[in-house]
Parts: sequence; structure tokens; C-alpha cells
Amino acid sequence: MDCPIKTQENTDWLLDYAAGRLQDDRAAQLERHVEMCQACAHFVEAQQLVWSALEQWEPEPVSLDFDRRLYGRIDQAKPSSRLPRILRRAFGPLQSLWRPVVPLAAACLLIVAGVVLHAPRAVIAPRGSQARVEKIEPEQVERTLDDMQMLRELEVTLDQGGHPSKSM
Amino acid sequence: MRQWVKEGMGATVALDCDAELMLRVKDGDGASFALLLEKYRASVAHFLYRMVQNQAISEELAQEVFLRVYRSRATYEPTAKFTTWLFRIATHLALNWLRDGKNERAQQRLDETSEDIPAREVADRAPSAEHRLLHQVRVDEVRRAVASLPDKQRAAVLMHKYEEMEYSQIAKVLSCSESAVKSLLFRAYETLRVRLAHLA
Repeated sequence: MDCPIKTQENTDWLLDYAAGRLQDDRAAQLERHVEMCQACAHFVEAQQLVWSALEQWEPEPVSLDFDRRLYGRIDQAKPSSRLPRILRRAFGPLQSLWRPVVPLAAACLLIVAGVVLHAPRAVIAPRGSQARVEKIEPEQVERTLDDMQMLRELEVTLDQGGHPSKSM
Repeated sequence: MRQWVKEGMGATVALDCDAELMLRVKDGDGASFALLLEKYRASVAHFLYRMVQNQAISEELAQEVFLRVYRSRATYEPTAKFTTWLFRIATHLALNWLRDGKNERAQQRLDETSEDIPAREVADRAPSAEHRLLHQVRVDEVRRAVASLPDKQRAAVLMHKYEEMEYSQIAKVLSCSESAVKSLLFRAYETLRVRLAHLA
């Protein structure tokens, strides 16, 4: 076979051979070549070193609460998606009835709004005006009576001055 | 009964059992989702950890992956292998996170000495302190070497090495041609061979 390094073809064979993953027939073919080709032998040796170095790198184990946290996040997303489904199930059969009702209700609402907006407005007295009772103080009554008394006395005084009063 | 789906250039492939499980999730079977989570939790989380090299961020992204799988259940169609779809979501999230420059802190942490990171215990025999230190130094070298790769090359290497994906599957995950994947991998491993040569 042609040298994979020189031709830059089937370089994946070299990688897979070093990893022990190459199919048996190809592996046998490449093995014969590697025995004769120093460049390929060096490549395979270096690649096997990389392979074993990578195997030493073991990651930390996954946290014990990984699943609990995941299902918690899944549950968090559930209520919002469940509610419409429940509503759909409950009101699903009525869906055909709902369709004509909605525009009809909208039309009725518009008519009512129109009537309310264009109807003559009744004059409404300010709230509380009828119920208002002026509080009359006793001093005010007394003062009024005094004023009346004073007017009477003034009339009498004028009468005595030569001008007879009609009322008296 | 096994279902059949079209894949790639019109080739028809058997629907993998994971895709069948996902179709059950689509039908409202929560237990099937739990099975998929159990099966792929670690591989997705570890893939993301090796991509972003930050434990907290990788778990957050892994949660997002499974959350998106669950949310997409209603529209799921088995047009490809389930793992292709799963790792496509994971890779997309990781590449976006790296692109957004949110990795600055993680990179800083990576460049620091790893004294705060507890050494992993070997189950059978307690290794000596020197052996543990040596192992940790080698692992840090590997981490730095992988982190130095361009994002897409890194994703390709991680899927090839740790997930043992075929070139065609990696190509679908990264939305590129199979030859482009081979080229990506060849260049990536070339970089790693140079950077890790002193570990021999």
C-alpha cells in the first residue's frame, strides 16, 4: 500500500490503527506497511502515546443531585404549559359554540356603548346639596331679633319727628 | 417492531433503541426519559466538562442539554441516531459558551496550579504521594493540551476518543463533511502529539 503520510491519503487509517479500531483486513495491510516505513512507525508510536495520555484524564463524577435539579427545572416549566391543556380539555367541546358568540357579544357591547354615549345626560344635582342643612347658631337668631327691634325703634323715632308711620 | 428511518443520502437505517425510547418520551412516557438520562448523563456531562473544563459550568450545560431534549420531545423526529442529536445539542451549547467568552475564568483556573483540586484515589491500592503528584501533573498537561486546541478540533477529538463515534457521526454533529472531520482530527492529534511528546 502507499504510505499514508507521504500521500496524505487514508491518514484516518493510521489514527484508527493506533487506537486499535481499524478493521481487521485494513489493520493487517497497514501493519505490513508500518513494519517497513519508519515515518509511519514513528507516527503510530506518538499517536499511541497521545491515546494513553488522554485515557488518564478522568473527569469528576456527576453531582449526586443532578437529576433532582434537572427534574426541578422540568417541573418549573410544567405549570404554565399544563394549565392551557386543562382548559382546552374542559372547554374543548364548547369551542364550536364559542366562535359565533364572541363576535355577537362584541357587537352588543358596541351598541350599548353607543347608546350610553349619545343619550341626553340628566342634570344631576351635586351630591349632598339636598341634604345640606345650615346650622343656625342661637347668637345669630338673637342678633337678628335685636336688629328687628332696632328698626322698630327707628320707625317710632321718625314718627315722633312729624312723619307718621303707615305701618304703625 | 423495529422502525426504519431515512438517514444521510437516502440510506435507510434501523431506528436505534434510544430513538425508540425518545419516541416513547414523545408519547408522554416519563420513565423512558429517565432511562435516557441514566444512560447518557455521565457521557454528556463528561464531554461538556472536557470541552469547557469547569465542573459547575459543564453540569449547568448538561442540565440544559437534557432540558432541551425534554422540551423538544413533542417535535422529535428520528431522522438520525439519538446520540447524534444529543451530542449536537451538547456541542452547540459548549461552542456557544466558549464563543461567548464566558470561559475566561475557567481558563484562568486552568492556568493556575491545581493544588486545590483533590487527587483522585485509585481504588485498589493507595498510591504514594509522589505517584499521585506525578499523575496529577500528567493530567494537567493533557488538560492544557486539549484546551489549546481550537474549539471544533477539541469537540472532534473528544467525540472520537471518549465517545468512540464514527467519522460520519462526528460530521453530522459538527455539520460538516466526513473528510473535513478527518482533516480536523488529523490536525488536532498532530498538535497533541507535539504537546504531549515529553510525557513519553
